[in-house]
Amino acid sequence: MIAKKSAPSWKQWVFPCLVGVILLAYPWVLGTVYTNIFIYFAIFSVFAASLNMLVSYLGVLSFGHALFYGGGAYATALFLDHIEGLGLFTVILIGGAAGAALGLIVSPLLNRVKATAFALLTLALGQLAYMACLKLRFITYGEDGVGGFPIPDLTLPGIASINMMTAENFYYLAVVVLSLCLLLMWFLTKTPFGSIMIGIRDNPDRVDFLGFNLPMTKAIVFVISGFFAGIAGAVYALFQNLVTPDGAFHIMTSFTPIMMLFVGGIGTFAGPIVGSGVMTIIEELATRYTTQIALFNGILLVLVVMYFRTGFVGLYLLIREKLFQKESS
Amino acid sequence: MDPMTFILITQLVHGLAYGMLLFLVAAGLSLIFGMMDILNLSHAYFFMLAAYIGYTIAGMTNFWVALLLAPLVVVALGMVIERFMLRKIHPFGHIPELVLTIGIGLIIMEFCKAVWGTQSLMLQTPEILSGLLNIGVFRYPLYRAFIIFFAVAMMILMGILFYKTRFGTIVRAATADADMVNALGINVPLVYTVFFGFGTWLAGLAGVVVAPFLSVFPGLADQVGFDAFVVVVMGGLGSMSGAFVGAILIGLLNSFGIQFLPTAAPLLTFGLMALVLSIKPTGLFGVRQ
Repeated sequence: MIAKKSAPSWKQWVFPCLVGVILLAYPWVLGTVYTNIFIYFAIFSVFAASLNMLVSYLGVLSFGHALFYGGGAYATALFLDHIEGLGLFTVILIGGAAGAALGLIVSPLLNRVKATAFALLTLALGQLAYMACLKLRFITYGEDGVGGFPIPDLTLPGIASINMMTAENFYYLAVVVLSLCLLLMWFLTKTPFGSIMIGIRDNPDRVDFLGFNLPMTKAIVFVISGFFAGIAGAVYALFQNLVTPDGAFHIMTSFTPIMMLFVGGIGTFAGPIVGSGVMTIIEELATRYTTQIALFNGILLVLVVMYFRTGFVGLYLLIREKLFQKESS
Repeated sequence: MDPMTFILITQLVHGLAYGMLLFLVAAGLSLIFGMMDILNLSHAYFFMLAAYIGYTIAGMTNFWVALLLAPLVVVALGMVIERFMLRKIHPFGHIPELVLTIGIGLIIMEFCKAVWGTQSLMLQTPEILSGLLNIGVFRYPLYRAFIIFFAVAMMILMGILFYKTRFGTIVRAATADADMVNALGINVPLVYTVFFGFGTWLAGLAGVVVAPFLSVFPGLADQVGFDAFVVVVMGGLGSMSGAFVGAILIGLLNSFGIQFLPTAAPLLTFGLMALVLSIKPTGLFGVRQ
């Protein structure tokens, strides 16, 4: 397909502007319930996108990504619980930093293994975090989790102080923070560093021969992935005002973004976002008729892996190719 | 006998019983990985499904019929899944396989919840095995001794199957070099399917045997499944002796851990798994990764 360089510039802005208007109007049109669902979707898009950095760009599957997500959520919750007067963006960054720190801690271990062993080691680390969270009561309060911590207002010095307890205000915060994360991740994949990541997935030996420091590069990816997962966790903690071991570290918290990733389509940047949207919609529809959402998820997952491994994004690309084949050739 | 010795011996035998059970589950998992390079994450769910089916069959007839039939049901299911699902996606690498088996696990889990509910079901210990075993002054539930005996019998059976039969020879050859065995005119894909069924059968047997021991509940697959993963990873994926040593180790760690370090026991299990994986990714006895 030949890209049209001379396309009118205003056309490029139609889609982003449309998305912006929809995002702005969303909570006022659809009400609180759907606003909360959207926040949930946004959190999981970022979480799944951070996992996508490992799966699509590094070629390894993490079964314990909840380690970073839960770490971020707990860090934010515990800081707010124990220390007064922290700013909103400070605590979100604390969550990200906790995820990044965990990524840094586990990277020497993760660097030693690949393929199935990688999946198993991350599974072990994730479960270790879950068990530690349940058992270290004096820090994490065990099964009860950390809840009821104060949510700081968003203060713009000298201008305004915005209460974050209302769904609409929090919606805008979440959308801004999480969109920023997605944009940053997207830019990262376009940098030379992103190309090295893809090189590692396709042929690690060759990247090594070319003189790149393989363990260091992987470690940086783990840290970045952990950072964004931690931010997703931090926003989740602020959103729920309660973090529990089951919500933050449970094995299903690790499996959910994997499902989203595969439903959306691995190997693409949009995959996790689309997958998160599809899964959120399915979950929302399924809860009206049944309590067994996991059954739907399982069936969907099996169908996707069996019959269209490229996921919904791949399906879209396929349809586009079929419909517009003549024009482009 | 002083109480401390009594506690120690009780925990030792309990740990052995649980370890041998884990061995049955882990052996299937490890063998399937060693031969087919598939890490079957739904393995523990087959195990749980067999426990539930065994519960129902035992309710209608008796324990022994359940022990015979319930594993066969999951074997059929396992073989169908291997033949029509795993085989199709095997060329696409290990990530789709892992994800597919998660999906199957989720479906089995929800199926069990829908059919049998979420409460804990206790299968009656068969009368013959319900008494206490008297060894001098030491008394022990007969059923746990039976578990140890049963697992050892299965181990001997496996040994005979692998080293004394033609099927075993083919299996060992296919593990070493599947292409060559295929070229010699043996239907390797069929061997894979049968072998997958065999691994599932072991899990199914363990499932029925566990029902009177731990009771049947939806969390069973996760509880035993995680321990089985730890066993397999520690012992080395694909290694039989590794699975055995790992199972005994985790069984003992579990039973002594719960007795003496109730807070740290679950941490120890996963900590040990992470430690072994990071120091020697192939496990204690493993050769391949």
